[in-house]
Amino acid sequence: MSNLYDLLGHEVVEGIKEGLFTAEEYVCSVIKRIEDVESKLNSFISLDSEGALSSAKLIDRKFKEKENIGLLGGVTVGIKDNISTKDIRTTCGSKLLEDYVPSYDGTVIRHLKENGAIILGKLNLDEFGMGSTTEYSRFMPTHNPWNLDYVPGGSSGGSGAAVAAGECTVSLGSDTGGSIRCPASFCSVVGLKPTYGKVSRYGLISYANSLEQIGPICRSVKDVVMIMNIISGKDMNDNTSMSSSPITINDKSNNLDIAIIKELIDGSDDAVTRTIYSTSEKFKEIGCECNEISVKNLNYALPSYYTLASAEASSNLARYDNLRYGFDLPIDDYKWDNYFTSVRKNFGEEVKRRILIGSYVLSSGYYSKYYLKARRLRSLLRLELLTLFKKYDLLIGPTMPILPFKFGEKIDDPIKMYLVDINTVIANLAGIPAISLPAGFSNGLPIGLQIMAAPFEEQKLIDASYALENTINIQRRPNLI
Amino acid sequence: MISKDELAYLAKISKIELSEDEAEKFPKQLEKTIEYIDILEELSSDDSIVLDLQEIKLDELRDDVIKMSGGRRINKNLTEDGFLKGPKMK
Amino acid sequence: MSLVMIGLEIHAQITALKSKLFCSCRGNYRDLKPNTNICDTCCGLPGTLPIINRKAIEYSTMISIALGCKIPNKIMFYRKNYFYPDLPKNFQITQYNVYGFSSIGAEGIFELDDSKKIRITRIQLEEDPGRIAYLEGGMNVRNSVLIDYNRAGVALIEIVTEPDFTNPKEVRLFLNKLSLTLEHLGVCDTLLEGSVRCDVNVSIKGGNKVEIKNINSFKEVEKAINYEITRQNSMFNRNIKIDSETRHWDDRKKITFKARSKEEEHDYRYFPEPDIPVIILGDNFVSNLQDHMPELPNQRFDRFVSKYKLSEHTSNILINDKKLADFFESTLKVYFSPVEIANFLITDFKSLIQDDIDSSDYLRNLKVKPEHIAELVKMIEGNKISRITAKDILVNIFDSGKLPSEVANNTNAFKIADEKTLMDAVESVFNTEKSAVEDARTNHEAINFLLGKVMKFTNGRADPKIAMRLINNRLNKSNR
Repeated sequence: MSNLYDLLGHEVVEGIKEGLFTAEEYVCSVIKRIEDVESKLNSFISLDSEGALSSAKLIDRKFKEKENIGLLGGVTVGIKDNISTKDIRTTCGSKLLEDYVPSYDGTVIRHLKENGAIILGKLNLDEFGMGSTTEYSRFMPTHNPWNLDYVPGGSSGGSGAAVAAGECTVSLGSDTGGSIRCPASFCSVVGLKPTYGKVSRYGLISYANSLEQIGPICRSVKDVVMIMNIISGKDMNDNTSMSSSPITINDKSNNLDIAIIKELIDGSDDAVTRTIYSTSEKFKEIGCECNEISVKNLNYALPSYYTLASAEASSNLARYDNLRYGFDLPIDDYKWDNYFTSVRKNFGEEVKRRILIGSYVLSSGYYSKYYLKARRLRSLLRLELLTLFKKYDLLIGPTMPILPFKFGEKIDDPIKMYLVDINTVIANLAGIPAISLPAGFSNGLPIGLQIMAAPFEEQKLIDASYALENTINIQRRPNLI
Repeated sequence: MISKDELAYLAKISKIELSEDEAEKFPKQLEKTIEYIDILEELSSDDSIVLDLQEIKLDELRDDVIKMSGGRRINKNLTEDGFLKGPKMK
Repeated sequence: MSLVMIGLEIHAQITALKSKLFCSCRGNYRDLKPNTNICDTCCGLPGTLPIINRKAIEYSTMISIALGCKIPNKIMFYRKNYFYPDLPKNFQITQYNVYGFSSIGAEGIFELDDSKKIRITRIQLEEDPGRIAYLEGGMNVRNSVLIDYNRAGVALIEIVTEPDFTNPKEVRLFLNKLSLTLEHLGVCDTLLEGSVRCDVNVSIKGGNKVEIKNINSFKEVEKAINYEITRQNSMFNRNIKIDSETRHWDDRKKITFKARSKEEEHDYRYFPEPDIPVIILGDNFVSNLQDHMPELPNQRFDRFVSKYKLSEHTSNILINDKKLADFFESTLKVYFSPVEIANFLITDFKSLIQDDIDSSDYLRNLKVKPEHIAELVKMIEGNKISRITAKDILVNIFDSGKLPSEVANNTNAFKIADEKTLMDAVESVFNTEKSAVEDARTNHEAINFLLGKVMKFTNGRADPKIAMRLINNRLNKSNR
């Protein structure tokens, strides 16, 4: 065992319970790691080292008194900064919420705390979750721990980078169009977007509420399961949440019928395609069927996603008028109309673009042309996938069609940036679970495999993922730092 | 095609002020995005496609019970009486 | 004044709800300090979600049933997007009838009277915004707004009618009947301050529709419509075009004035509310409600006529005053004599309480209780007291709250049935009214006159039947 901070989540809990090390020792190791690498990565917007150490000492005290330290006792969690944490600044990467301190914990935070987890800090993101690189964060971009000139993915870029670099044990991200899976893929870690409704969204600051879910980003499949079983569940504070069964780790992976989605391969770079094909061969080695299939409605998926996401965003972000919370701007010199517009001038470019597009597609005259069609496409796509899932257990493809890229490469062309999401939006539109697993490297840059399952079939996803993880053993530890 | 007037209208109903730089480059950028989503025109307007929507039953809904949350919800711009002070209307 | 078309858009708070529509804050925000009846959700804080109140759906369905509407199997909510200081999220969660989804009620019908029916376009469930006050002066003065979110999120139903009204009196009748219906359902107390708002649209001679907003009580509606019709007619007569516009009612000056025009045009960009799934009402929902919901006015009317055998006239008076009708039925539980009790209530009793009739709880604070009336009527029917005496006793009870029998004892009000006492009275009258006595031998009218004198002599307490018998005996005696 090289460093404590490298431990996986379940190893941390076991280690403390077996007396191999104390929670304080572990947390100190994590904090030291942050001190060593954070200036290169910029994963954190807010960091509460002192609070983390106090919590760790409390856990050690409890352990000494033979009290229950919880299923996540000692585990340090980084939280994407669009999830509400009581008394901890929650900015959404935006100037408009620069100093906003929530008075309540999101449901997932409450679940984590109740099980002994330590909330370490808030992680960087593209502003309000809109983006794929964290370049749209209004504070700073986060760097990819595998190569600091490259983006970590987004919008949960901080969550991906921090976990990969060992700056926290596990992290939570949110995924609206790929925002968990993209950084997981680019940072060579495991990221799961749950079935829509499996995890409560109470506390998740909405970008596109019919598409998004909170999910874990971890260094192993087992950790993903551990976190999922804690944060999932029907919640009275979220009418869209539903109850579901817990996930187990077991060795059943044979006889899964897997299909590769042809269109996702066709649209990918060669390096990506090669890796995905070789990974699919591995599935065959462990006893799974693997065929290639076509999904008819895929070329409409991304345009539908942007239509719907922008529409919802334009409405969800309307509340930011700086009256009840926000930054300091005295009202005296303004009329209400230009106060609102002046306040909202402080949104970043990408957020503004999406709000404007959202207003456009919802405005009278255009509603049936774009929004309604996108809704219909969504139903069609979901129906098509559900039909496929009657025949196949899992659908796979590359998470990202390209390798991680350098800062500034796509930021001047919004469409170029949007196209990065082309593989991931499918799962959000259809409301199905999807995971990204490390699958390999090209020139030292990570490539991820995406696996999708039918609604609430996370168990199948995990069965396949766990088996694959043990088979292909992809490196999880960046060399650079 | 997004004209400068159309852009101004969208900014008005979204209550967003654009910087000079944004006012210059947004028309082209937004136009490209709209062109991109125009592909949706190819889809039929068939009303018979059932919108696959999430459903909830009446008995799963919240009971009519009062639960007051204590504490201040608003921390800025309060008058002595407790009103939230906002900018003037005109 | 022909071809007047009037349509209504009424917003009524579902005041019977304990909590708000989408959160658990108190539904009754009145008399609370500003911004003390709020939570993270109704203030629109980031990350909060609307959690809908099941009772609100039940109550709004009851209203839809009472107004003859079609109720769908599933309902959906929409966002109406616009910016305003009183709107915490800068959108309102409401309902919308489009693309195959209906609001909680649609295509209803309301019977105004035997000849006229009003079509109800739709009924929808939605949330109330907060309230705005101004530092000094009113809406038009350049001052900071003061915002209070106590009311934000309270459940509202919106009732929209077709422009089927042709004169203001019909509107007043409708609003009265609607209030009565809401009162019977127990869902909305229209007398509570701010609980109802009514927008009106008026057009004459097939011309443009003018909308009048800001009418804050049902009472003002008739006045506003009258003013507007006059205004439009006068413009028409002077050949001035009537523009389609929004006007506001000023209830101090009693006029309508033009509102800021272009600002009122909004593109609301309606789309389905993603945080609330489609709500399945269930196959038995409507029939269950119909079986268990409170009796509607016309159902109660039918029951009063058929079960209690009251006249239609009497039933009508009772039905139109729910509290009186409730009082009536409470009285019946103590002493079952419907016709007598009803008549007593709508004459003597009603005249005494007439002045307080508009206060929300006017019967509750009365000292006179159903037990009192029951005993009183029982005494009348048992011939213990006369009707006239009963009224006096009632006046006494209003102040004292004592039981009628006690009052009657103390004031010596009981009917005199004792023949000896009555005989003395008759003798006394015969002595003083000699000429009448003479007439009485031949003329029946004179006998009634004598009876009247006997009643007067005994302060109304003589039992008329016995007195009459004694008078006739006395007359016969003197005939011999």
